[in-house]
Amino acid sequence: MIGPSRVAELDMPGAAIEGASTRPAQSYWNESWERLRANRIGMAAGILILIFALIAILAPVFSAVLTHFQPQTIDLSQTFSPPGGKHLLGTDELGRDTLTRLIWGARVTLGVALLTVAVSLTVGTAVGMMAGYYGGWLDDVLMRLVDTVLAIPAIFLFILMSILFRPTPVSLALIIASVGWGQVARLVRGEVLSVKQRDFILATRSIGARHLRLMLRHLLPNVLPVLIVAASLGVGQIILIEAALDFLGLGIQPPTPSWGNQLTNAESYFFHSIWLVNFPGLLIFVTVLASNVFGNAIRDAFDPRLK
Amino acid sequence: MSSRGPLSTAAIKPLSRAWTTADPLLEVSDLKVWFSVSSGVLQRTVGHVHAVDGVDLEIKTGETVGLVGESGCGKSTLGRAVIRLLEPTGGKVFFKGYDITHLRGERLRGLRREMAMIFQDPYASLDPRQTVGDIVGEPIDVHHLAKGKERQDRIQELLRVVGLNPRFVDRYPHEFSGGQRQRIGIARALAVEPSFIVCDEPISALDVSIQAQIINLLERLQSKFNLTYLFIAHDLSVVKHISNRIAVMYLGKIMEIAGGSQLYRRPRHPYTASLLSAIPIPDPVIEMRRERTILQGDVASPINPPSGCRFRTRCPRAREHCAEEVPPLESFGDEHRAACFYPLD
Amino acid sequence: MTQPLLEVQDLHTVFSTKEGWVKAVDGVSFELHPGETLGIVGESGCGKSVTALSIMRLQRPGFIKSGRVMFKGEDLTKATEAEMREVRGREIAMIFQDPMTSLNPVFRTGWQVAEPLRLHHGWNAKKSLTSAINMLGKVGIPSAVDRAEDYPHQFSGGMRQRVMIAMGLTTTPEVLIADEPTTALDVTIQAQILDLLRHVNQEFGTATILITHNLGVVAGMCKRIIVMYAGRIVEAGPTTDVFAHPKHPYTWALLRSIPRLDADRHEPLKPIDGLPPNLVDLPSGCAFHPRCAFKIEKCSRDVPALERVGDTQLSACWVTQSGTELKGA
Repeated sequence: MIGPSRVAELDMPGAAIEGASTRPAQSYWNESWERLRANRIGMAAGILILIFALIAILAPVFSAVLTHFQPQTIDLSQTFSPPGGKHLLGTDELGRDTLTRLIWGARVTLGVALLTVAVSLTVGTAVGMMAGYYGGWLDDVLMRLVDTVLAIPAIFLFILMSILFRPTPVSLALIIASVGWGQVARLVRGEVLSVKQRDFILATRSIGARHLRLMLRHLLPNVLPVLIVAASLGVGQIILIEAALDFLGLGIQPPTPSWGNQLTNAESYFFHSIWLVNFPGLLIFVTVLASNVFGNAIRDAFDPRLK
Repeated sequence: MSSRGPLSTAAIKPLSRAWTTADPLLEVSDLKVWFSVSSGVLQRTVGHVHAVDGVDLEIKTGETVGLVGESGCGKSTLGRAVIRLLEPTGGKVFFKGYDITHLRGERLRGLRREMAMIFQDPYASLDPRQTVGDIVGEPIDVHHLAKGKERQDRIQELLRVVGLNPRFVDRYPHEFSGGQRQRIGIARALAVEPSFIVCDEPISALDVSIQAQIINLLERLQSKFNLTYLFIAHDLSVVKHISNRIAVMYLGKIMEIAGGSQLYRRPRHPYTASLLSAIPIPDPVIEMRRERTILQGDVASPINPPSGCRFRTRCPRAREHCAEEVPPLESFGDEHRAACFYPLD
Repeated sequence: MTQPLLEVQDLHTVFSTKEGWVKAVDGVSFELHPGETLGIVGESGCGKSVTALSIMRLQRPGFIKSGRVMFKGEDLTKATEAEMREVRGREIAMIFQDPMTSLNPVFRTGWQVAEPLRLHHGWNAKKSLTSAINMLGKVGIPSAVDRAEDYPHQFSGGMRQRVMIAMGLTTTPEVLIADEPTTALDVTIQAQILDLLRHVNQEFGTATILITHNLGVVAGMCKRIIVMYAGRIVEAGPTTDVFAHPKHPYTWALLRSIPRLDADRHEPLKPIDGLPPNLVDLPSGCAFHPRCAFKIEKCSRDVPALERVGDTQLSACWVTQSGTELKGA
């Protein structure tokens, strides 16, 4: 046992003890956050996404306080009202309030995107980490599985799944994630392979750490930045996929509102009721753009050399 | 250091007789570590890198054995194999009389409390996402050595022992210079209270003015905690300073082993002699006068090592016989052994 | 003494960082005479490499703030980029620590070695390749005709450094700058390359600047050395004098701190306390004073200039300039 009395005998050069940097402790995460904060456009995009998310969460409140309509309330006397007046953003062919439906649609669209990202990241990380860490036959088996998943034409899979299961937000998220995890797994495996080569992994093995500790305490934190970037870029992609599926009638089914299926209906009324197309389209566009901008900002914040 | 030990309780097959502290702490016999080389689409094994190819070595308790050689001679591989970060392909490794050659699972984890390693690159060997406290505390957690306040105290103690300010526990590695990082790495190695430490080029990545600090620290720690070192380096001057005995490796084999000054004053193996003559001495007067034996050519491939003596392709004294037979390590008296058919006087 | 071939005068090279300007080279002056081998020693970050790169105007992203680099009556810091391209490789050649990254992996070695000849002398492919093969032979590459066909990865580290030296020598430059040429090599290979550099210096009369952190290497290679610390020259003089009677506490302490192969007794090393300087946050006065065993009050206040101390040496130290001898236990 190393006792304090022994240490006093050690004649340590004072300068070696006191000479370190005087800056406050700064973790990698702190520094990345500082860099992210300095990126104004990136931060604006992030805040915009946050606002949309808040609106989606608080949809019932908005319904009650702001618009005074429910998303599925049909009022056949008020079909195709233009924006303004009682209906701030107009109504659709069944007299439903567009703004209310957009707010509730945000719940569905953003919810599906978030759930999809969560599921594909979890599954993809687990598979990628196992494959990269253990290597050998496990790596071969898992990566051939990933190849197979990535080789399936996604759109046909979606059509098939939509026919087999009537898509709810949860089942739709699982359907999209069933393809999405493959790319995450590849990404994570690549990162793990490079981190695994570094000496600190060997050093951690040399003190007798178990595999689980190596993976969770050392590999995961070092892979995390890549995952966060993948997640923020992924949100945009998934919103687009989901909107496309909804538009084709393979996604969320009416009367549940989503940004995508609001477009489906609007298509027929494009010429006389353009607001039905404009508003959901604009929201999708802005959200996807914000998600990509924010994703790139995060990537730059984590790795300033990439700039 | 207390005589606790997962090793003594683990049912590892001991040598026929009981081990005492007078016996070598570490005994390596005919150790081989080969790596397979594969090629082609099917990744078929086409050959082996004979990284370590039949090494015998004994290390006594409390001594420092230096291991020198050029890159690719297998010195790092040997270091990793004796503390079982690699599994040997052949031969035996005995530690405190126990056969540890093929230990696995919990027994291998138990062994990790007896042995530690200090790495060359103080940048790559510390996890950038962990604080100094996490890094030094990890061995304590892994082996459940202490908890809570006691754990904190241990970490601070270890930092003080290696000459770092204990207030730095919440700092991250990138805030430290190379020398300080190496101290963090040393604190981590000490955390398991090992009796044997493999130092793999611990100073070659450091600034010249910092190297002496780390060498002195390692020496102080050795006498404080009765440590035994295997000190791996390519710089023979550093090895000679810190080691009791020096082993010279070439292409996976030990060419010569002797006490430091004996090896310097009277090298028997031509490789040792040319290695010594190649090392620049920081003294212009001596350097100008020095006779140099400059070796021709490069080290041969460890995939297809030369027949007979491995050094013969570069050896100025090589004769026909050297290609036919592998020279054994023969004694030249007083712990001095060399593997050469035509040794120097 | 002869007219200097290269004269660096009060060179300042700075880098812009988040924390402000970093003075990587802070007022460095020295001369290189025809045919001599000058050693520049110092630890990482002392400014030795940046000095060399500044001579070649390859210091980017750094920026030469002031000073002159006089070469054949011309100030290289004022030369145009086109003029510099003429100087680089033709009149001043440079070889680096890592010969792998300095060679292009996709071209045959002979073709690359011949490149300066095609570029600077406008020779055709055949003529330049013949000359390149000749040079590869001279730097000790066996069967040079065949090896010229090989790609860089087919050479070992030592052989690649030979290739780099051959490439530097094809145009018979007057100055060769070797930046840590043997640091990445094994000792027996280091000995080969140092021997080659000695040979090149004798046979071609090329003046050489040898930059290294290894005091042993300069001891055997250079008649004159410069010691750098934190961007400044702290000591300069004939190698034998500097090693025998260092006039700056840094040189003095450094020489005592390194283990020597020929040391007889086993005694503890005498390390230099403290840490290498942080260029972003240099101490006031003499940058070495926090680690110095001889420091006096003035050292933390004023920066000492490089002045003559003793018959042959220059030192930037208040203590030795006042006539005090460096002695210690």
